Amino acid sequence: MLDHAQAEFANAEVAAVIGRSGSGKSTLLNLISGIDRPDSGSVEVDGLDVTALTEPRLTLFRRKNIGFVYQFFNLVPTLDVEENVRLVLELNGVRGAEARERSLAMLREVGLEDRARSAVDTLSGGEQQRVAIARALVHRPPVLLADEPTGNLDEETARQVLPVLLSLARQRGATLLIVTHDAALAQTADRVLELRDGRLQEVSS
Amino acid sequence: MPILWAASIRHLLRHPAQLVLALVGLSVGVGTIIAVDIATASSGRAFQLSSQAVNGAATHEIAGGPKGVDEQLYVDLRTRDGVGLSPAGGGGVRPALAPVVEGYVTVGERTMQVVGIDPLADPELNAGGTDVRPTAGDPTRWFTQPGAVVMAAGTAKQLGLSVNQWFDVDVDGKTYRAVLLGTLPDDKAGYDSLILTDIAQAQEWLDALGRLSRIDVRVPDGSNGEAAAARLRARLPAGVRLEQAQGRAHQSVDMTAAFTTNLQAMSMLALLVSTLLIYGAISFAVVQRRRIIGILRALGATRGNVFTIVLSEAAVLGIVGAGLGLLLGVVIGRGLVHLVSQTINDLYFVVAVNETVLPAASVVKALLAGFGTALAGAWLPALEVAGSTPQLGLRRSVLEARAVTLARKLLITSGALAAASGIVALTSGRSLLAGFVALFLLLLSAATLTPAVLRVVARAAARAAGRVSPVARLVFGDVAASLSRTGVAVAALGMALAAMIGVSIMVESFRESLREWLARTLRADIYVTAPGPGAGRPERKIDSELLKAMLATPGVVDYGMSRRVTLDLPHGPIPLDAVQLAHGGYANMALTIGDPGLTWPAFEKGDIVISEPLAYRTRLNPGDTLALPTDSGSRRFRIAGIYREYGNDRGTVLMSLPVYREFWHDDGVTAVGFYVDRGRPLQQVMAGFRDLARGKQSLFIRSNAQLRDLSMSIFERTFVITRVLYWLAAGVAAIGLVSALLAWELERSHELAILRSLGLTPGAAAVLIEGQTGFMGLVALLAAIPAGLLTAWLLIDVINRRAFGWRIDVHLSGAQFANALLLAVAAAAVAGLYPARRVARAAIASDIREE
Repeated sequence: MLDHAQAEFANAEVAAVIGRSGSGKSTLLNLISGIDRPDSGSVEVDGLDVTALTEPRLTLFRRKNIGFVYQFFNLVPTLDVEENVRLVLELNGVRGAEARERSLAMLREVGLEDRARSAVDTLSGGEQQRVAIARALVHRPPVLLADEPTGNLDEETARQVLPVLLSLARQRGATLLIVTHDAALAQTADRVLELRDGRLQEVSS
Repeated sequence: MPILWAASIRHLLRHPAQLVLALVGLSVGVGTIIAVDIATASSGRAFQLSSQAVNGAATHEIAGGPKGVDEQLYVDLRTRDGVGLSPAGGGGVRPALAPVVEGYVTVGERTMQVVGIDPLADPELNAGGTDVRPTAGDPTRWFTQPGAVVMAAGTAKQLGLSVNQWFDVDVDGKTYRAVLLGTLPDDKAGYDSLILTDIAQAQEWLDALGRLSRIDVRVPDGSNGEAAAARLRARLPAGVRLEQAQGRAHQSVDMTAAFTTNLQAMSMLALLVSTLLIYGAISFAVVQRRRIIGILRALGATRGNVFTIVLSEAAVLGIVGAGLGLLLGVVIGRGLVHLVSQTINDLYFVVAVNETVLPAASVVKALLAGFGTALAGAWLPALEVAGSTPQLGLRRSVLEARAVTLARKLLITSGALAAASGIVALTSGRSLLAGFVALFLLLLSAATLTPAVLRVVARAAARAAGRVSPVARLVFGDVAASLSRTGVAVAALGMALAAMIGVSIMVESFRESLREWLARTLRADIYVTAPGPGAGRPERKIDSELLKAMLATPGVVDYGMSRRVTLDLPHGPIPLDAVQLAHGGYANMALTIGDPGLTWPAFEKGDIVISEPLAYRTRLNPGDTLALPTDSGSRRFRIAGIYREYGNDRGTVLMSLPVYREFWHDDGVTAVGFYVDRGRPLQQVMAGFRDLARGKQSLFIRSNAQLRDLSMSIFERTFVITRVLYWLAAGVAAIGLVSALLAWELERSHELAILRSLGLTPGAAAVLIEGQTGFMGLVALLAAIPAGLLTAWLLIDVINRRAFGWRIDVHLSGAQFANALLLAVAAAAVAGLYPARRVARAAIASDIREE
């Protein structure tokens, strides 16, 4: 799917990757996060060759360095809003009161502190995506990967959610890579790349 | 990681039906094992306690033939000959001795063991050291009051007796009066079915004047004791032996080993089925959460985290299931105790079980079984999900492709298991354990075959149905395409059905073989038997004067008679049937080895014939000899032939009655078969017998048909417990099918809602679901039939032969498959009921939106 795709992203950069369905956009994010492995080539994050890591170390790398925002939110339905956010902290070894305080603070930043104890399936799509953003950023990962983050939201909601994602990523100095069909969304990025025939091409900078 | 655990626990709690069904399956599996343990342990414990109560302090016993030993021997040992029991030079150890007369009596409906003791004997040996005189009020009444007895206070209360109250004691059809002189405290175990009386009184009741059942002996441990025992042994006359005291009790309990092993195997079947169910339930729970697990993995949960969570869930399920199974087992076990003790009474020895025992080892076994079953069931799904890449929402098609590959591999496994089963069965000699291993391999082969059969049949049915209607195609096509969901449940059902068919064929074949055997051997018109509990008890004999009168009754044209006693052989107690057959009676005896023209003439001259079970166990053949303890010492008898007999699984020695009388000096008769003049109504002759017996002895007087019915009813009673156990195993499988199919159908609500939106009526949707579940039930049955036939072969020719030694002729009939069909259809119908109702009532719009 990806064939000699090559790109470098700077720290704190916001980049958008566009392309047709099936062009390999999601595969690119999976390769960066280590969920998938390339047949050949390498992915380096902050000088670390992700593709050379063993599975357990890859998991630990992903846990610490990557935040995910998905089109379909992918919240854990059996956990409430605050627990969904805290889950990542606990995976990273932050427990107890500190974890609670940090997850609530993160929810405050996305405007959902008052829904902390709500079940996730009672939230609107926009609210669920804000929870997903909070979960992606709460452990302050250097890399944030967003796969069609507004793809499952109406236009109005998308307009509300997108600034939250961008501002929080920028505040924390995270490198944000957004995969999208949405040209308007792509325009908000510092840099746009197109994935075509398996290769990444610069559209603008 | 509390939040990971919270997510896991909440998932389980959000699917309570699934959780409950898995727990029910597991707890029934564990409960069945515990129930069988309780039932067999309670019976064994009751027997051992009563044995210990009677001769608990004895280290040895002096035993004779079926009629015991002459009481003069005891007198001699205590007085004249007793001098020689002390070591030369004096000052050494002299054995303590106590005479015992024991037998069985009936008080009301209750069978009790009467033990006649001599309070003047060495006191530490009397009924486990119990001195009964202080309990009897005035001690002299023990000796002077006719009918004086003592029993446990609790037993007296249960019988509604108070001190100094008179009551009836029935012995060998004769009624005697007894009076309760006092009661023993209830703190002594094993006394609850004992009646203690003076030895002379017991001799009178048991028609054993001048005889003792045995003499209890106590010698100290160590070389001094051994020397004392050796001196005692040297002074015993021919035909009298000095034996280890608990040897007989152990042998008696050991006799039931094959019976209890069979029960334990049946209970293991239920647990094996529940292993598949746990596998099904856990793998289904994992599949349902594949997306969530994918999210967790993407967020940084390691394979170890996921594996630990899944296994921990299973462990909790296992512990809770084991706990519930333990409770359930106690409840079922209390019900089974009666069935097991009834069978032991019918077939082996008299035992009265008044309390249930839960062995500590059984509790550990239950916990390990529940825990182990759950972990074994969860191991593969846990490995599979932990090993998969953390992609979200693995595609269903990938899962199904894996299931199809697995089904193909299982097909090969099935062939290997079947071959292994055959090899184990055919090469393991006489090992009963190997027989059961072969059986379980075969059942696993049936289970592993079923998913592939389901797929092949469903695909073929889908192709055929597709020509008629696309909806009909869906019925079968969905089944074939959802093997990951349906395969395990149908496999568990297939295994249970195979077991059910096998057991049905075995029981029915046994029943028919028994019926044919009874028809051949029971030829007399009327049978008269001395009553009383315990086959082979010497006190069971028909009054000689009464017998003469019955033989002289008008209409009696011929008769055969028998004396049944029990001989203590090195292989354990064996019944000896001494028979005098009616004219032409030998033709009715089915010899399995031996020429009738040679065997029976030799039999009349002093040879013996032994039954198939005894020949199998002792590996004896015609021409060999068997040593029997006669009144004048051990004597070897030549075996002239081997005959078919289903009376007991220990085996029987058949001997000519005159030969028996010559060597045992016992002219008692236990049973007589009368041939009646065809012109005379049987009822009239039977009424005549009853008139003769009235006031003298209560005899069992039965027509040929009544005796056959009684024999068959004992047979049916014996197999009640087998049926209970296999229905429990079948129940576990049915629960599994219901559980898995329910989950599968609920999972498809989105797809069904689409069909409904396209115009499928609620009724048609319900029919579609019931059609699918019913189809799966029938396919499980289809796969189970050949496996069931092979199971029947294993049960009949391998396990029954090795456990009991007898051969059974195979009888096949449609009825043997009826229960399996009923189970398959009922389980499938119930499984489809709720989803069918749900889909018919579901809000289409919301189900379509659900993704």
